[in-house]
Amino acid sequence: MFLRLLFESFRRQKRRKTVALLSIALGMSIATAMIAVGTDIGDKINQELRSLGANLVLTPVEDTLDVNLGGVNLKPASEGAFIREQDLIKIKGIFWGHNIKGYAPFLSAPQAIRAKNTQIEAELIGTYFAQPLRYGKEDFTTGVRSMNPWWKVEGEWPQDYADWPQNQPPNVLIGTKLAEQNNLTVGDAIEIGDKNLRVSGILNSGGSEDQAVVAPLHIVQTILGQPNAVRRVTVSALTKPEDPFARKDPNKMTPAMRDRWYCSPYANSIAFQINEVLPNVRVEQIRQVEQIQGKVLSRVSGLMLLLTLAALLAAALAVSAAMAATILERRQEVGLMKSLGAGNVAVASLFLTEAGFLALAGGLLGFLAGAALAHRIGQSIFGSSIVVHPVVLAVVLCAAVLVTFIGSAGAVRKAMQFDPAVVLRGDA
Amino acid sequence: MTRMQLLLRLLFKAAWVRKDRALTALVSVAVVATIATAALTIYSDLEGRLSRDFRGFGANVVVTRTQGSLTQSDLSAMHKVVKAKQDVISLAYAVATAPNGSRVIVGGADIISLLQMNSWWSTKQVSTDGSALIGSRAAAQLSPSGQPFTVSFGSKALSIRPLAIFTSGSDDDSRIYVSTSDLSDATGLSSNVALLRIEGRPRNIEAAISKLKTSAPDLDVQPARQITQAQATVVGKTRSVVLASSAVVVVLIMLCMVATFTSSVLERRKDFAVMKALGASNRTVNFLFASEAALLALAGSAAGYILGCGIAFWIGKVNFEAAILPQPFLLLPVLLGSVALALIASTAPLRLLQQIQPAGILRGE
Repeated sequence: MFLRLLFESFRRQKRRKTVALLSIALGMSIATAMIAVGTDIGDKINQELRSLGANLVLTPVEDTLDVNLGGVNLKPASEGAFIREQDLIKIKGIFWGHNIKGYAPFLSAPQAIRAKNTQIEAELIGTYFAQPLRYGKEDFTTGVRSMNPWWKVEGEWPQDYADWPQNQPPNVLIGTKLAEQNNLTVGDAIEIGDKNLRVSGILNSGGSEDQAVVAPLHIVQTILGQPNAVRRVTVSALTKPEDPFARKDPNKMTPAMRDRWYCSPYANSIAFQINEVLPNVRVEQIRQVEQIQGKVLSRVSGLMLLLTLAALLAAALAVSAAMAATILERRQEVGLMKSLGAGNVAVASLFLTEAGFLALAGGLLGFLAGAALAHRIGQSIFGSSIVVHPVVLAVVLCAAVLVTFIGSAGAVRKAMQFDPAVVLRGDA
Repeated sequence: MTRMQLLLRLLFKAAWVRKDRALTALVSVAVVATIATAALTIYSDLEGRLSRDFRGFGANVVVTRTQGSLTQSDLSAMHKVVKAKQDVISLAYAVATAPNGSRVIVGGADIISLLQMNSWWSTKQVSTDGSALIGSRAAAQLSPSGQPFTVSFGSKALSIRPLAIFTSGSDDDSRIYVSTSDLSDATGLSSNVALLRIEGRPRNIEAAISKLKTSAPDLDVQPARQITQAQATVVGKTRSVVLASSAVVVVLIMLCMVATFTSSVLERRKDFAVMKALGASNRTVNFLFASEAALLALAGSAAGYILGCGIAFWIGKVNFEAAILPQPFLLLPVLLGSVALALIASTAPLRLLQQIQPAGILRGE
């Protein structure tokens, strides 16, 4: 009998049920989309903030002080210590290796450059542009093209030669200011220490590289006679914003705390892990970048969290109001059932079961629609999709049932309080 | 009783007799208005809020005079584009020889302003009466425990009394900063570089830079593109996310409200039939239902606007440590939008009902 009542109620009141279902589905798709976007926004903005470039810098421990002034390096190439280029790949092997988005080694020295029969004194910088590398089974590409997205090149980026090319001079970039001062353009030939090079692009970095020649690392190592040597490495890692726990000294922690610290992707703990694989290297946070990242990240995630809360509350209210409206409409039905002898429990259980079915169906529909919306938002704004965690489905279904029950319960109680005779006469 | 009085009475009674129904409709309008107001208020203020956060990251423009030193007119041109006096720091650099024979760069600046501008530096004070800031790498080699030492510029010596050791992760870690007068006494050099912190949204910063370039054309003005670019990207993307998700929420919740409204009108088909049976024209009935909906929507959206401003204010306080103030220009769109929506939602079902004979509705068809 109960089942039949339930079934007939759905069959005969298609419009009402559709409206209720629609409201629940709409409310739950808001919930799904907002939860998905709100929980993923931190990661997405963190990825965007990687456009700030590296957040860690590696220098040799034994190194002498840098003597850089206005973009001119006054330290001779022979002075100071070096990091072995070969060892750098070990960075990918640390505990948080997957969070290392890339690294760029640098080797630089002031050089005499001959161009168009004039001699210029300028910095020669060697680095990776987009060097393909392999660690274990993972292939990846790293270099300044991805690490320093604010570097703009007019012309072509040079390739990363593994060795000195045999037949034609290797391509290099020339800083925009240096090019302007010496009338150099794309395609010009320059000569450094009796080696011939070709300018393939003009680099505009907005920094000291604008007055330098930037060449593939292996070419610079050959010119300087320093094979396998790099002076400085910048590393871009996805990190968790610094908090008081991150700043603690790992040597003074209890083993449990130390494990927790070690297994959190703080810039400090990643620096510590890099130091474990490269012991002769000093790893320093680029504090400006780290601090911007931490502050901006917490702001944006906080904002989305609060907006999500507000949206969830609104969705709950809207669904409750819709449910209340559809049940209030059915006062006469309640009156009829009661006058035929149905008890309050029987009536309430019928209405609540209906509401439960509606909630589950609406929640499922809403989840699917919300997931699609979140995916769209991710694609159009960040160019990568926002994946909805399956746990959200459970949360959304529970929320749907809870909200519909709350919305219906009040209305059902109200409807039952009336005298059946009054309701049936239409006076209530 | 005049027609007007009758209308008012009908409207009032309709809301009063079925309080819960009126309340449901009111709540659904208020929810839409609240969320729309809160989201739009936050959106309109977001760029300014986030840009303020980027302000904490020090100089975003470096100005250099390649030949000679900065003049008074250069400095006044710079002061015109920044807000506060301490947002311009002039610097001079010289290469000195350290006691161990290595070379070290010594910068001359107002070191207190320098510390304030570079607030992200992690600093460790080593003495109370010192006058120099030592980069961590320089300190490790020249003054590991913060003891005073002497550097020389050719024949002239400059004694360095460390005040604090700082770590920045940049070239500055290899440098020493002393006061402008100390450096110029020892070397005779005066400032040729200035660090500027220009506040504001990305486009304000660009405008300030181009203004500076035109007012002092022989200066080399270099924006810290790394920071300005990140600021533009992050602020832009965050705005888009807030806009997109608010749009989703507002549109869906509007649909929800329309559904609620429509069903509460359909519920009253008996009222409708009785009025028609008593001789009311379609126009009169439409007018009656529409004005009821409009009044409800007006009340609901006014409450929603106030509540929405409150939520935006609270989010600002909690998340940005500064309240986001109500935007009065949003009031009209929110009110009008809600009323228009309510009118559509309540009159559309009436058209359906008009196709049925009143007698049929009364009989319960």
